[in-house]
Order: sequence, then structure tokens, then C-alpha cells
Amino acid sequence: MEFGPILRAMTRNKTGAILIALQIAFTMTIMINAIHIIEERNDAMARPSGLDEANLFYLTSTGFADDFNEQQQIEEDLRQIRALSGVVNAVQINAIPLSGGGWSMGLSTEPGADADGTGVAVYFVDEHGIDTFGVEQVAGENFDITDVGWRERTDTEWPDKTILTVAMATEMFPDDPMSAVGKTVYINDTEPMTVIGLIKTLQAPWNGWSGVERSMLVPQKMLFGSARYLIRTEPGARDTLMPQVEEMLAASNRGRIIRSMRSLEETRERSYRGDRSMTLMLKIVVGILTAVTALGIVGLASFAVNRRTRQIGTRRALGASKGDIMRYFLVENFMITTMGVVLGAIMTVIFNIMLVDSLSLPPLNVWYIPAAVLVMWAVGFLAVSGPARRASNVPPAVATRTA
Amino acid sequence: MLSMQQIAKVYRTDTVETHALRELTLTVDEGDFVAVTGPSGSGKTTFLNIAGLLETFSSGTYMLDGRDVSNLNDSARSKLRNEKIGFIFQSFNLIPDLNIFDNVDVPLRYRGFKSAERKARIEKYLDVVGLSGRMKHLPSQLSGGQQQRVAIARALAGEPRFLLADEPTGNLDSAMARSVMGLLKEINEEGTTIVMVTHDPTLANEAKTNIHLKDGVVSETASISQLGNGKQNAA
Repeated sequence: MEFGPILRAMTRNKTGAILIALQIAFTMTIMINAIHIIEERNDAMARPSGLDEANLFYLTSTGFADDFNEQQQIEEDLRQIRALSGVVNAVQINAIPLSGGGWSMGLSTEPGADADGTGVAVYFVDEHGIDTFGVEQVAGENFDITDVGWRERTDTEWPDKTILTVAMATEMFPDDPMSAVGKTVYINDTEPMTVIGLIKTLQAPWNGWSGVERSMLVPQKMLFGSARYLIRTEPGARDTLMPQVEEMLAASNRGRIIRSMRSLEETRERSYRGDRSMTLMLKIVVGILTAVTALGIVGLASFAVNRRTRQIGTRRALGASKGDIMRYFLVENFMITTMGVVLGAIMTVIFNIMLVDSLSLPPLNVWYIPAAVLVMWAVGFLAVSGPARRASNVPPAVATRTA
Repeated sequence: MLSMQQIAKVYRTDTVETHALRELTLTVDEGDFVAVTGPSGSGKTTFLNIAGLLETFSSGTYMLDGRDVSNLNDSARSKLRNEKIGFIFQSFNLIPDLNIFDNVDVPLRYRGFKSAERKARIEKYLDVVGLSGRMKHLPSQLSGGQQQRVAIARALAGEPRFLLADEPTGNLDSAMARSVMGLLKEINEEGTTIVMVTHDPTLANEAKTNIHLKDGVVSETASISQLGNGKQNAA
């Protein structure tokens, strides 16, 4: 291999090579970090919410009639919905996981305003909550019907029982999360609540929150003017039951409106729509950058072939085979690409450190770099193979043509 | 050394058929120094290209150093060119981005010689042409005569059986032309067969044998001894 002569020749004609090497380095830097962000977003989107999403939907009932009795209507609605064929269970709830809107509070293991609270998403549910969600209870017990009270909009006091997710218990009792059952935690600085059970997973309403896995169940039904019902159906019955429940509730009391009916799958889709758009955009950017880089390599190599046609003919006359000429251009391009990927690897690490610092992204998986090096080598090889083949077809008789 | 029997070369386009060589027959003996002359369009360059295996021919038989090269593939022709033939071009054809050392090194790398062998040959033949002190210079830093000397060193470094020179002094002034011609004669004296294409009758007369081409055929052949007694018509 004539690495030495090629390198020495390149140093005397370096502008084009440096520009392409820089382009490769920038492409690699953006490619790796973009793929890192895409992977990070894909991982986030793939996190389980803990819910039986495929069979859940929800809707909101808002009374407006003067004689509308909210408490009585909620009891009646839940009784009717739960009695419907195909319904597994239903619950009144204040917020929907992944919907973007909900309640949060701080819990601490010690009472007092000075204690460090751990943020947690709050779901008000009755004893049907766990079954309606379809979440797995891993320790302790569920709420009893006698635990469940009514909460008015202006109430500030909290019931004395709660169920936490394992993630929340881990945050509060890192040494032994499962020992959280039976322990007391404090809400609103001083109000004690006993942890009576743990559920495996239940995501908060906010998918971008770092504590998205930290949730608590509170045994209360709400008199807030509007009641949201979360309904779990038998597999395959959801789409049939959605309009059926909506019509049934609307017909049962004309003094209210039924609105905002949506499946959990649609909520998930809307929740991650921005992430999906971003990942698509990043994929397009990476694709375009890679294509532009490949075209740059084709351009440089084609220019080199055209500029060196007589030189190629001379090499052929001096004994170079077609394979020798092809190899010359492949090696030359390999050297340019290698300069680019070495620079790109350094830039990738620096750029990733900046992203980790400024956007709190997790650090890059180090294996992305050798993988990207292989990709850039492959792109370079494919891009230069056309011009290299054209160079190898330059006839040796070109050497004797008068310049 | 080189024997061509009824070699023809026809260039064809969609509408035109050009006969560059018409059943050309000639022989070059080992150790000879042949000058091929002729007017423009007589087929000198085509002859040189075919003799140097740079081009194929349409019909006839060509024996190079006892080997029939008529049906060799491109790879075999490249190998034979590299091993048997040294080229000297009118425009020197040095690679401008490579220094003198690397330029002479080009055919040796294709030959597959080890680094030490290549280095020894490069130094030896740059010394032969009087340029051993300029190894790190670029071609653009040398005069035309020096560049042609580098080209000669490059042609000799592979120690070929014969040299093909295409108007080797065509781009040089008369003093440099004499110097290069003197060098070629020395090389020939040491046993290398040389075939030189030229349009310059003065240079041709310094060769041992003159071959005159006209319309793609040999119109006249004369040896140096015959030149003294008048040329012999070989056509």
C-alpha cells in the first residue's frame, strides 16, 4: 500500500481533502449525537405506563343544571358503568397518566417544613383504582371501601392512607423499598399518611418529568364540578363501549355534558407526538447530512479523477493494473475519511459533554463511536467506488497524448 | 526482441473508419537503438502505443521478447509493461505532487519490490542521471532537462529489456536535447534496447537504425552503417 506517497501528495493539495475531512467530522458528530437523542427518546417512549392501555378510555362529565347533584350522579354513573357488559372496572380519577395535566405534592419521611420532600404525582381513586388501571400490586393491600372519602375543591386535609409506586418507595426508602408498607410518610409538611401498599408501575401525567415513575394513590372521590371517569374494558370491547358509555351517561342526566372522551392509546400517542416529530426530524437531518457528505466525497473524487487523468494514464503505462488505480483512490479516500472520523470522534465527545451539561441528557454510549466510524468508512467507500472505477478505466494510452 | 507481423490498427466511430497502421511489419533486435520517424498522422504514436502495450491492435501478430502478446488481458499487459518496458514521454509525465524519489518509485511499487530494494534502485538510477542530490525536490523545482532525466531514471529503475521513448527531446532546448540524447546512447551502449519515436531527423541519425513510417506502413529502414552508403528502401 502506498500510504506514504498518497499522504505526501495530499499534503501538497490539501484544501479539498481537509474540507471533506471536516465535513465527515461534522456529519459524524451530528449523526452520533442525533442517534443518541433518538435512542434516548425511543427508550422514553417505550417505558411502560403500568396501565392496561389497550383497554382503557376516559371521559369527563360536567353538570350544569341547577338541580344537578354531583355526588349522587358520580355514584350512579360508576354503578351504571361497572354494570355494563364488557366493562372490567371503572373509577373516578383526577388525572390521567401521560395526559400532561395532573396534581403533584411532596412527601417526606419526617414531619416539618424543613424536611426534604420528594415530588410525587397524586391520583385520587377509590378501591377500584388498582383494578381499573390494571397495575400490579406487589406489596401490602388495596384501599377498603371504608377508606374512601369525598374531597371538595377547597379541602386541604389528606386521608391517612396511601399506596405508592415502587419507584416512589425506592426514592423515599432506598435501603429497602419493600419495607415502606406500614411506614408513615408526611404530606403538606406535617400530615401523616400510612403506606398500606405498593404498586409496581404507574407513570405520572408528565412524560418529560425525571420522576415520571413516582406516583401515589389517595383514597378519595372528588366533588370538583367535573368528574373524570377512567374505564377499563374487556380486550377488544373498548371501541364498542366508548360511544355506548358516552350515550348512556348523556341520556341518564340531561343536566350535564359529556366531553373529552379519549382512549389511553390516543393519550400516549398525543403525549409523545413531539418526541416522535423530533426523532423523525433528526433522522431526516442525519440522512441528508450523510447523503451530502457522500456527494461531497463523490465530487472530490470525481474532480481528482478528472484533474489526474493524464497522471492515471502514466501510472497505467508504468505498470499499474486497473485494480492498482482503483485501490489508489480507495486508499486515498480511506485516509481522508479516517482523518475525518478521528476528528469526528473528538468532536462527538466534546459535543456530547456539552449536551449532557446543558440538556441533562445521559452520556453517550461509547460504542456509538466505533459504529459511526464503520458507517462513515462504508459511506466513503461506496461514494468513492464510482469515481475510482471510472479512474481505473482511463486507458494507458492517455500517457502518450500531447498535453 | 520485438517482432511485429502485419499489425493493423483501425479506429472506428459511427461514421468514420481510420486506418492508423496498415499491416505493419518490423523487427527490432536486442541491443538496437531504433529511431522511428514519419510525418504527422503516419502512425508513429499508434506504433509506440502498440509496441508499449498501451493499446491493442486490430489484427496481426506481436511477439515481445519471445512472447506472443496478441491475446493478453489487461492485467497481464500491465504486468508485462511493468517488467519489460521503460517509458520516456515527450512531456516527461512526472507526477507533480510527488517528489523525485517518489516519482521514480512509482513503477517499482507496482512491481512489488521491498522497500530496501526500491530505495537502492532509486538511488542508483538517480545517480546514473546525475540527480541523486535532488531526491526531495518536486518536479516543478527542476528544469525541463532535469525532469526528463528523472523520467529516464524512472524508466530505467525497473531494469527493463527495452525503452520506448516518445519524442524524448521534444520539449527541450537544443543543449538539453543533446544531453538527454547522450544519456540515451550511453544506456543503449550498456545493452538496453531503445525504440525512439521522433520527428527530428538529426536525432534520428544518432540512432543505430532508422524506420520511417508513412500512412501506417514502414516506408524505409536503414541501419547506421547503411546511412553512410545511402539508405536502403525496405518497403
